[in-house]
Amino acid sequence: MEAQVDLNSIYAPSEDVVARDVHGEFIIIPMTSGIGDSDDAIFSLNEFGRAIWDKLDGKTSLKEVARALALQFEGDTTEIENDVLGLAEELLKRKMIIKA
Amino acid sequence: MQDSFVEPLKLLELPVWEKIKNERRLISFDLEITARCNNNCRHCYINLPAKDKRTKEKEMSLAQIKNIVEQAIELRALWCLITGGEPLLREDFFDIYLYLKKKGLLISVFTNATLITEEHIKFFKRYPPRDIEVTVYGVTEETYEKVTRNPGSCDAFMDGLELLLKNKVKVRLKAMALRSNVHELTAISQFCRQRTKDYFRFDPFLHLRFDADIKRNEEIKSERLLPKEIVTIEKNDPERFQALEKGCDGLINPDFAHFGCDHLFNCGTGNGSFTVSYDGFFRLCSSLWHPDCIYDLKKGMLAEAWHKFVPQVRGMRSKRDDFLKKCRVCPIINLCIWCPAHSYLETAELDNPVDYFCKVAHARSESLAPQFRPSIATQP
Repeated sequence: MEAQVDLNSIYAPSEDVVARDVHGEFIIIPMTSGIGDSDDAIFSLNEFGRAIWDKLDGKTSLKEVARALALQFEGDTTEIENDVLGLAEELLKRKMIIKA
Repeated sequence: MQDSFVEPLKLLELPVWEKIKNERRLISFDLEITARCNNNCRHCYINLPAKDKRTKEKEMSLAQIKNIVEQAIELRALWCLITGGEPLLREDFFDIYLYLKKKGLLISVFTNATLITEEHIKFFKRYPPRDIEVTVYGVTEETYEKVTRNPGSCDAFMDGLELLLKNKVKVRLKAMALRSNVHELTAISQFCRQRTKDYFRFDPFLHLRFDADIKRNEEIKSERLLPKEIVTIEKNDPERFQALEKGCDGLINPDFAHFGCDHLFNCGTGNGSFTVSYDGFFRLCSSLWHPDCIYDLKKGMLAEAWHKFVPQVRGMRSKRDDFLKKCRVCPIINLCIWCPAHSYLETAELDNPVDYFCKVAHARSESLAPQFRPSIATQP
């Protein structure tokens, strides 16, 4: 079943992953099985992805996350909302975040 | 809108590997959580009896291990090898492992597999290791237990390995080539390759004891194969020998022949990794036990060991003439097990040539096809 996300929802990192900066690379390391495509996989987020990840704190809605990022990156709000939704959908599908 | 926001990566695809080519950065560390083992292998450089109370008392506590791991995370370590002795002997093995996982470390475990239970399987399936490496000492009870000197260990190993494989826990198999099992090495190799697809290696190079136990060191030496035997088993293993020939240009490195340079260390030791002994001593690698090259983490901080102590050790120099004129300028040093750490284990000094190593390296070099064979460097 496809993961459904909407801008009013609030998400937090799953306790089954650990996000870390390893020598300048922001990576997400699955702690338990069934997170990635294989138990070998680790995941990389680019600068924008990391900025979104840092704001998924279990208190802030995706709409508020997008608004904050639009200010931070001086970007188009609609475009940023789409990116935030896209990332959240992918993270949710991979079980890296949970709905708060 | 982007296509994908979360990029799955294989470990070797991480940009950090490029970074460490040019500068020291901590990637991995080995945690020897015990020196005790339920086996008593003839060739082992570390094992002490499983019930040895004095050794057990000296082992780092869970709190000490957590403290070191915390410091390693601050230095951005990514990978930890849990080893021993036999790490599964620790009653708090699951706690140690889980703590490493929660810190976001990739984990490898070295084990003899004899103590693997359904509980371990359940745990490893829930919290997968990067890999579990198991050494195969023999494929018959007679050979296996001749090496381990532990009755019942062969059956326990077979059961443990079967549990791991049946439950698809990622296992890598390896072997030591010993006097006691060399007659079975082909069968060991077949056994391993039938069970693991991606990886198998055997090692004919036996290290002497970390505790310099004279009797045990004599046993280890008696398990060593002759240079010509090592060459023969390498040649009999096409995969290994072809890899040696293909990688030969890299192995025989003319850059190692620095006439006039008196540095002791020319390997990468301490550049991206370190080892912690069961009693909390930091070393640049698992073999380096010289008192000037170990740092007590119970008294000092990992950052100091990493940033100050390692460069100090790597800066050590030699004044020994026969080292400077022999090993230090040897063009086949990369075919040789010689290094300051092994020199110390063999001779109690960091810069002594070791005749056995030298003979093995020359036998290996001569076994290579002429186009791969190095010429012996001459002083300009």
